[in-house]
Amino acid sequence: MTVSDLSDDESGWLDQQFAEVKDSVENSVVAADLADRLLATLPPEDQQALLMIDGEDASIKEVAEALRWSESKVKVRAFRARKKIREAMEKLLSYKGTTAAEQVSK
Amino acid sequence: MKDKHIIEVIDNVALANLSQTELEEVKGHARECGTCRTAFEAAQVSAVVLKQRAQVKIEPSPFFHTKVLAALRERQTVQSVPTFVRLWKSASALVSSMALATIALAVLTFVIPDPATAVTEQVASVDAAEAVIFDQLDEQLTYEQVIATIYNEEDEAR
Repeated sequence: MTVSDLSDDESGWLDQQFAEVKDSVENSVVAADLADRLLATLPPEDQQALLMIDGEDASIKEVAEALRWSESKVKVRAFRARKKIREAMEKLLSYKGTTAAEQVSK
Repeated sequence: MKDKHIIEVIDNVALANLSQTELEEVKGHARECGTCRTAFEAAQVSAVVLKQRAQVKIEPSPFFHTKVLAALRERQTVQSVPTFVRLWKSASALVSSMALATIALAVLTFVIPDPATAVTEQVASVDAAEAVIFDQLDEQLTYEQVIATIYNEEDEAR
């Protein structure tokens, strides 16, 4: 079976799937890059805790065992990191919202 | 929870770890409170971004493995060479130059004669001949014999 055997609909559907997969991969990379930039504003210990809990779905206990920290330390680090990232993201979103609103009004 | 701000809740726990009930309460409050809505939206985007970060694998460059293995092999080779050989490798140039300098000094000192020394030796040999003659003077030679010996030597020298 070759590409020439496909109907126009099938060929179009394949193109669309390919484009979606490509977009998805590119978006993932962009998102990861943005995450890196946001994480870079945090102390290394906060980065570790947040990435393990929010990124990799690790439990507080698992992180505490892996990093040899107390569970309280893990909770505090993750809380601080999450708060900072959320606040930074709020600023970014509000800026984007303002820019978009300005573009609409123009 | 409708009247209570939910910012602390969303900062305290990962959104994925909120129970269905908690999530519904958070969403309910966010619908009515602008500040918390903004915070909730930011928390959602942050959660997505962090998930993507954890999923994206950072692949090393294709040559990374080769470079690491080459570095390891080099390190093992260096460690297997005896200490004396390693020291010799690093100091051989210095030791060789010192040895050459010593040999050159020895050649200059013992093989090539110093002109001043040669003259002194000649003088010394003349002195030695006279000394032999004069040492024997009192005991074995008469004055006439001494004069005759000196003149004979001078004639032979000519």
